[in-house]
Amino acid sequence: MSDIADARPPRSKAAKWTRRGFIGAGTLVGGALIVGVAIRSGNPVGKLKPIVAGGEGEALINSWVKIDANNLVTAIVPHCEMGQGANSTIAQMLADELDVDWENVRVMDAPADGNYVSHHAARMFVGPGTLPDRPNQVGFMEPTYDGLFTQLGKLAGAYITGGSSSVRSTGQNGMRIAGAAAREMLVAAAAKAWGVAASEISTENATLTHAGSGKSEPYSAFAAAAAEQELPRAPKIKQVSEYRLMGTPAPRKDIPLKVDGTAIFGIDGGPEGDELRYAAIKAPPVVGSSVASMDASTARGMAGVLQILNMGDFVAVVADSYWQAQQALNTIKTTYSKTDIDDLDSEQMFANYSAALDEAGESGGNSKADVGDATAAFQSAATKIDAEYRVPFLAHATMEPMNCTAWVRDGKCDIWTSTQVPLMSRDGAAEGAGVSADDVTMHSVFLGGGFGRRLTPEYTNQAARLAKATGYPIKMIWSREEDTAQDFYRPADISRFQGGLDENGKLVSWNNVHCSDDEPAEAPLVEFYDIPNVSIRGAEVEPPLRLGAWRSVAHSQHGFFVESFVDELAHEAGQDPVEFRRSLLKNSPRHLAVLEGVAKMANWGSDLPEGYGRGIAIARSFNSIVAEVAEVDMTGGMPRVAKMYCCVDAGFAMNPDGLTAQMESGIVYGLTAALYDEITIKNGAVEQSNFHDYHMMRMDDAPEIAVHIINGAPDNIGGAGEPGLPPAAAALTNAIFAASGERIRELPVAKHFA
Amino acid sequence: MKHASILLTAAVSVLGLSACSSESPEPVEQIVVREPGQAEAATPDAAPAQDAVAAGRAAFAACVACHTVEPGEASGAGPNLAGVVGRVAGSVDDYAYSDALQNSGLTWTAQELDAFLADPAAKVPGTTMAVGAVSDAEKRSAIVAYLASLSE
Repeated sequence: MSDIADARPPRSKAAKWTRRGFIGAGTLVGGALIVGVAIRSGNPVGKLKPIVAGGEGEALINSWVKIDANNLVTAIVPHCEMGQGANSTIAQMLADELDVDWENVRVMDAPADGNYVSHHAARMFVGPGTLPDRPNQVGFMEPTYDGLFTQLGKLAGAYITGGSSSVRSTGQNGMRIAGAAAREMLVAAAAKAWGVAASEISTENATLTHAGSGKSEPYSAFAAAAAEQELPRAPKIKQVSEYRLMGTPAPRKDIPLKVDGTAIFGIDGGPEGDELRYAAIKAPPVVGSSVASMDASTARGMAGVLQILNMGDFVAVVADSYWQAQQALNTIKTTYSKTDIDDLDSEQMFANYSAALDEAGESGGNSKADVGDATAAFQSAATKIDAEYRVPFLAHATMEPMNCTAWVRDGKCDIWTSTQVPLMSRDGAAEGAGVSADDVTMHSVFLGGGFGRRLTPEYTNQAARLAKATGYPIKMIWSREEDTAQDFYRPADISRFQGGLDENGKLVSWNNVHCSDDEPAEAPLVEFYDIPNVSIRGAEVEPPLRLGAWRSVAHSQHGFFVESFVDELAHEAGQDPVEFRRSLLKNSPRHLAVLEGVAKMANWGSDLPEGYGRGIAIARSFNSIVAEVAEVDMTGGMPRVAKMYCCVDAGFAMNPDGLTAQMESGIVYGLTAALYDEITIKNGAVEQSNFHDYHMMRMDDAPEIAVHIINGAPDNIGGAGEPGLPPAAAALTNAIFAASGERIRELPVAKHFA
Repeated sequence: MKHASILLTAAVSVLGLSACSSESPEPVEQIVVREPGQAEAATPDAAPAQDAVAAGRAAFAACVACHTVEPGEASGAGPNLAGVVGRVAGSVDDYAYSDALQNSGLTWTAQELDAFLADPAAKVPGTTMAVGAVSDAEKRSAIVAYLASLSE
């Protein structure tokens, strides 16, 4: 059987995320060796705490390795595949530490399946102090990593796929250790059986060899014996010079499934058999409103309709097919309860933001950085510059709209859904189905895009409620209109700056106040720039809209704010934007290398055709540093990004193809929003509904993108999924300024070229 | 209402909100039209001939994805059809018609509508109504009867 066929999850028998399974552990089944590693962060979970699953064992990231009787190695990882390919890269890290060739490695995107559950092992896992003297044929380790990254800790606690954390947390601290530990245990078992020193045994491609005696056996021959060995407390992991698979563009394991169409995405999931029915839903357009009345007189008579439900917070039609459900739903007339924000519009919201910033003034608000005396330095500066920037609310617009398949029966609930937070979704399902979390089985599926949209459990809760009400399995699918109108939006924001230059054009004062509650906290900070006086403050505003994490979170707006203002300062100082930044980065060698790298790629300073301009921006996010240069063609009616150059230092690129793809993807996602998109509010409701008024960048608008990778800190690796995005918008608007002299201070760009 | 009365299996249950705060609320209203696998009630095509408007309303369900019918309601992918019978083709203000339809010179009598619905592209070459042809003559005349019942 081919590797691909082997890796294919059988429908409905796919690996499951049950509560037991998640905590559960390995035991020997059919001679397979299971080794698990839990990463636990000592950091407080912070404001995510109320929404994460509460069980003690859930504040862990578990990585698992299975070596089976056929000498195949399976990496079982607690992250979701949403297009980013991280799980494949994590498996690559495992395979390298374990000395297994890539073709003998498989990936399972779930931590465990029912066959490996053991109460005994589970107890050991959640109570590290209660480990029995001799583990029940299971190897465990439980390194605790305190205080590595605050953000990572939060995400680890939430068991989330997000924060660009999979490779740098689970891969680096989990899977590599699991692989190295398994290898040492196999070597120890072979050494004992052969009566030779462990140090004389070498490993290569899942084979143990003792050169002196000529003995050689596959790993599988010692899998059972290995489990009896003492746990290595600190298995030796490889140095960069010893890497064989890490740092190579090993082909992703999920791509063949996606190319031949056999990949099961959330929207494809569901039980076998013909019991499945479909639901279309519509929630009130204004947050906080509920359904006051429902007139379903037309829908009742329509083909395929089974049930029509007023759930209070939404209406639903259940039918034999999705199309029938949606068509019937479209005929239902609803009225909604009044809310305090029925008259709200975008203009009013921005006015509220401005008022909050006015109140904070030059020194008020929540201090986020305070170095020197920014106000005094500004007063005495030779040149003073003020600027205000605005960004709109944004939707995620994942290719796969929100959907969930649920079946509630016999006190149990089965869920198939695309989610970045399986544990939170499980709790949402439990609540909706009226069962305990233990009785919910989350079937793992691929996600048709995440970008932070799938960090909320509400759609899982909706489907569970419908499944409970009807008694049969329900596949609930949101229309694109529902998806656009009921998102958790990237916050809009206004950011104000005052900058002071001395008589030599050196930046001596940086004073910034903005509205958003920053996540991550570093997003608005500029510590990598050498500025003697810095004040960065936040003004509190609570917009009455559903807000969420959007790819790169607060970096998405601050990348634009900070790098736009730096560009304005450079021009005001009469300096080249690269040279100006170079002088500010003298104490940040990795940033400087990335800046110079991208300038070289773009041949910065060389001539461009008439009507073209170059813009540069740099940002660090999720522990990676990225600089980008945009080349913009202003000869048409609307700016066109001709080329993007990107230089990235993510510490070490575990899979350069994967990192490159994520940079390209982040750039396209960032440029899409910067060029075209905004979510606006009228009468309390979102005005946009579909791709005609919330545009996606199309292939003919997409720039040519070049990516160069610097491995600047192999022991301190960064994320990949998000860091490509933050510099993109500012690189674009800085290029527009260079080409035309027009400074875009409010996104999207299209507004200025209507 | 006649249409509802043919739904022999229809049942309505109205449930109160759940008092339990740890669980999501129960449905406020749950209309069970039929159970899965159960045959659908007689289709609107079989409705008595004299109730052409009701039959047309049911058949029009296929059209609502594009057309609104409430007076004053915004046009969708197709124009609002309130008061369509008797009006000049291409005359709804908020809808961007194809040049072909705008310049067709048609007035939507029952006959013209019937002919258009039978094969829109043949009746008005260049129309953007690419879907929605109704080949069943009986269903077509029912839809026209329904449209004629809509006042502006």
